[in-house]
Amino acid sequence: MNFLGFKRPDGKVGVRNHVIIFPSVVCASEVCNAIAQNVKGTISIPHPHGCAQLAFDAEQTARTLIGIGKNPNVTAVLVIGLGCEVVDSAMIASKIAESGKSVKNLIIQEVGGSPKTVKEGVKIAREMVSFASRLKREKANIDSLILGVECGGSDACSGLSANPALGVASNMLVREGGTIILSETTESIGAEHILAKRAINRMVRKKILEIVKRTEMRALNLGLDIGRANPAPGNYEGGITTLEEKSLGCVMKGGSGKIMEVLEYAETPTQKGLVLMDTPGHDAESVTGLLAGGAQIVAFTTGRGTPLGSPIAPIIKIASNSYIYSKMKDNMDINAGEIITGNKTVQEIGEKIFRQVIRVASGKLTKSEILGHREFAINRIGPSF
Amino acid sequence: MEFHSKFLYIWNKMKFKVILSHPKDNVATAKSPIKAKTLLRLQKGKKVEVREEIPFGHKISLRRIPKGGFVIKYGERIGRAIRPIKLGELVHIHNVEGERGKRK
Repeated sequence: MNFLGFKRPDGKVGVRNHVIIFPSVVCASEVCNAIAQNVKGTISIPHPHGCAQLAFDAEQTARTLIGIGKNPNVTAVLVIGLGCEVVDSAMIASKIAESGKSVKNLIIQEVGGSPKTVKEGVKIAREMVSFASRLKREKANIDSLILGVECGGSDACSGLSANPALGVASNMLVREGGTIILSETTESIGAEHILAKRAINRMVRKKILEIVKRTEMRALNLGLDIGRANPAPGNYEGGITTLEEKSLGCVMKGGSGKIMEVLEYAETPTQKGLVLMDTPGHDAESVTGLLAGGAQIVAFTTGRGTPLGSPIAPIIKIASNSYIYSKMKDNMDINAGEIITGNKTVQEIGEKIFRQVIRVASGKLTKSEILGHREFAINRIGPSF
Repeated sequence: MEFHSKFLYIWNKMKFKVILSHPKDNVATAKSPIKAKTLLRLQKGKKVEVREEIPFGHKISLRRIPKGGFVIKYGERIGRAIRPIKLGELVHIHNVEGERGKRK
């Protein structure tokens, strides 16, 4: 099966054609915004990280930014640094350049202040947009697709309608040779035995149990119950009673395939098929991790309704109940609530999601893209120092 | 995973006001708000009278669950009853607690 995508120098295929500008450190954020405001067709991705971070956080921020730059949906990247930060902008730019795409780096302290950097950046971004505008979509096999699966604002219907239906779509993409990344480790707590049973080998099985235990212990070692943060108040209102209940519904999104490998946050899969990534239940942080890992599209189920989008990828919203689908139609792409009302089966909605993924891969815009939702958040492990 | 096939099996018999996600479950999910005293007809002639209003998406007990007993949904444990739960009662945070991610 084929779709129409943008073939990249490293052999990967993008479903979008973005020129992005991001800072290596929070201090360069406004310069990125100013450049993007002046050049139509660019996207600025500001963030609050990049300095005064302990080694594991600095490394994770760098890995995420490099991954976002390397994502096949991105055609060209302008990295703006300040010059004295922990996360080195020149290093980020050179790592992204390994993918063969057009990458430029400007450092505010070297160029001589923010107005001059904006001026220089506008010149570079203009050329990048002109280059991107000449690219054409070409036929590509859907085995090059990496679909991130995510849920947010879940209700008790999520595990009965949208998540099992997305699981059907995940199985279909895996059968076609594609890749699914299942994430949100917090929402595997209580369902890890189901995932562990499906591990491809003992190493993967061990790693699954390890990341779930690590996440659970991280909260407990702080002296806190996860239950105060996850499930969230809206989950409880939606009928979810415990973290285990949320998790058992959550893991269905990945379908029923063997789990081929377990990735750290923002790491790129080396295997095809179903893989697991260690991300938190925080939607924006989890989606950012999936995209940094190379997912071109995210299929996102919700029961309470969320408008969350991404600066570099289409997010397909799947409502778990018809009530929220009608109420938040402006933000929802597919209604899995028809399963609850008995009008459609899990299989039927699953096939519908799969068809939608292929259409979106070929260029169809999702609601989050049309409305300009560009939420972006990098997961951090420790405090700032 | 056998999850899905079992799911579909239940799905095709959507005559009731509640959704049973797995044959082993002792709770079911309301597919729309259910008024108190509604009589639910389950499979094999089994009947359950709803004791209190069940909001949309919330769970109702289909079996008596003793204090400390497991609440089963998707055929798996989702927590323990913190007090005895009668047949037809709303099952939620007032009478169930999860066991994971909590300080002992």
